[in-house]
Amino acid sequence: MDLFPVWLSLRVSLTATALTLVVGVPLAWLLARRRFPGRNLLEAAVVLPLVLPPTVLGYYLLLAVGRRGPVGQALASVGLELAFTWGAAVLAACVGSIALVIKSAQAGFETVDRQLEQAARTLGRSEWSVFWRVTLPLAWRSVLAGTVLAFCRALGEFGITLMVAGNIPGRTQTLPLAIYDRVQAAQMDEANALALVAVGIVGVLLFVLGRLARLRY
Amino acid sequence: MVSVEITKRYPGFTLAVRWSAEKSVVGLFGPSGAGKTLTLQCLAGLIRPDAGRIAVGDRVFFDAAAGVDLPPQARRLGYVFQGLALFPHLTVAKNVAFGLADRPSRERARRTAEVIERLGLAGLEHRYPRELSGGQRQRVALGRALAIDPALLLLDEPLSALDAPLRLALRDELREILTGWGTAAVVVTHDFTEAYRLADRIVVYEGGRVIQSAPRAELLWQPASEAVARIMGLRNILRGTVVKAMPDRIQIGWRGQTLEAVNSPTRSYLPPPGSPIAFFIRPEYVRLIRKDRGAPDPLHHMNLMRGRLVGEADFGTVWSLRLRLEEPGEPAQGDWDLEVEVPQLVYQILEIERDRRWDLSVHRGSIHVLPS
Repeated sequence: MDLFPVWLSLRVSLTATALTLVVGVPLAWLLARRRFPGRNLLEAAVVLPLVLPPTVLGYYLLLAVGRRGPVGQALASVGLELAFTWGAAVLAACVGSIALVIKSAQAGFETVDRQLEQAARTLGRSEWSVFWRVTLPLAWRSVLAGTVLAFCRALGEFGITLMVAGNIPGRTQTLPLAIYDRVQAAQMDEANALALVAVGIVGVLLFVLGRLARLRY
Repeated sequence: MVSVEITKRYPGFTLAVRWSAEKSVVGLFGPSGAGKTLTLQCLAGLIRPDAGRIAVGDRVFFDAAAGVDLPPQARRLGYVFQGLALFPHLTVAKNVAFGLADRPSRERARRTAEVIERLGLAGLEHRYPRELSGGQRQRVALGRALAIDPALLLLDEPLSALDAPLRLALRDELREILTGWGTAAVVVTHDFTEAYRLADRIVVYEGGRVIQSAPRAELLWQPASEAVARIMGLRNILRGTVVKAMPDRIQIGWRGQTLEAVNSPTRSYLPPPGSPIAFFIRPEYVRLIRKDRGAPDPLHHMNLMRGRLVGEADFGTVWSLRLRLEEPGEPAQGDWDLEVEVPQLVYQILEIERDRRWDLSVHRGSIHVLPS
């Protein structure tokens, strides 16, 4: 059995999760802690990927990163191509899952008592230190929960990936696409095996998450 | 030396206060919502005033005109929040050491150990805040603030989170800590006894303004106005008419009596005859006259009055009596004219239970005039 889709999916999901954390956590903090112009717009934009049909999202992404799109052209000028590569699959997974990280982390940050952050400031701590020593340690469970959900969502990403990365066996065919493919080709044994692998990965993750969440701080 | 002169406007509430104090403990006293905590937050740099100036010692923290506004990190004030705001994810030792991050680790450990020792927290270093009693948490919060050698300690309702017996014990303990550490402090409280016990100078707040700022004894005996007296929770706040005002005496017409009160020469309050005047009489300073020692003598008993008992309440060790003067007209306080407080023992000896008519007298020094 060809396990390439499994490894590709793991690689795509892990990369995408790392990227959503780097982008999503600061955005979540901004939404939870700062008032700025355009805040409501940002808040709406964050949930957009959750409510728009994936194919619609994928379609617009393709318009952007395709050979004629603005992002695609900019990349092409430095010799890069994104559409229909595994990078596009990462992009698709990021777009599909970042809302989960942001919403969950934002909720976590909002439950942290602001007075604790104020106390840290009066004790001489910089904003950076306040975040790492107070806000994050008190909200890490929400951030972790959002991260795990985002990873699972990235692993299962189908519609957006199909639109921007295609379904090229051995190159951009991720686990969900591969399962779809096998079913279409009536290779039910292989579809079964791949589906079980997916269930296994998610099962292990949720188990670990459950153990972690029981820890205090 | 702390000097605060700030304004901060919100929809429906404006803080406009000005006070200063020498190096000592200042109590900000007043009802909730008067702007006390807001003042503390402005002092700490957590809220930016619209205008004004804040200076502690020779350091200017905020000066709207000069464009100075130090961030809280640079002010080095020890803020003890009303809810204490202990870090729940850190142990006692780490909470106390939290403000010492910029010191070398050996110095940090030494200072942390010293503070923990001095506040009687030894042995609790590795406990988390949720594993401590209310009093211990209070001391951790104090220790965390004191560890940084604050230029000024800010205490927001430091005892409000505790239940009554502990509150009394900790009030004295807190006073000792403040004296012992020699740190200047600003204490916010809505409890007058607490303010009096902890502070040397008391600043009275009402509706976003300062209505009196005085050494505590002066405030206790000479509230500057009826509003201050009401906020202090004084009883028998009464209104009469000036008969005659002299620098050392003042005669007040009230409920058919002419009461003589001491006027304060330093205050030189000389309202013209006929003008309304407010005054108060502490209930424990009204004397009931014993009937077994002959008729009351106006020469011996000042401000003699006759009244009837119309209500009483047993507070255990003291009785609160409500007396209505035998005069025509509406009583001064609803159903009664004067509240009188007597110890339980006196209540029994005088057999007040059986006797409802009493002659009473008030020394002129116990009638306190409230300038308007």
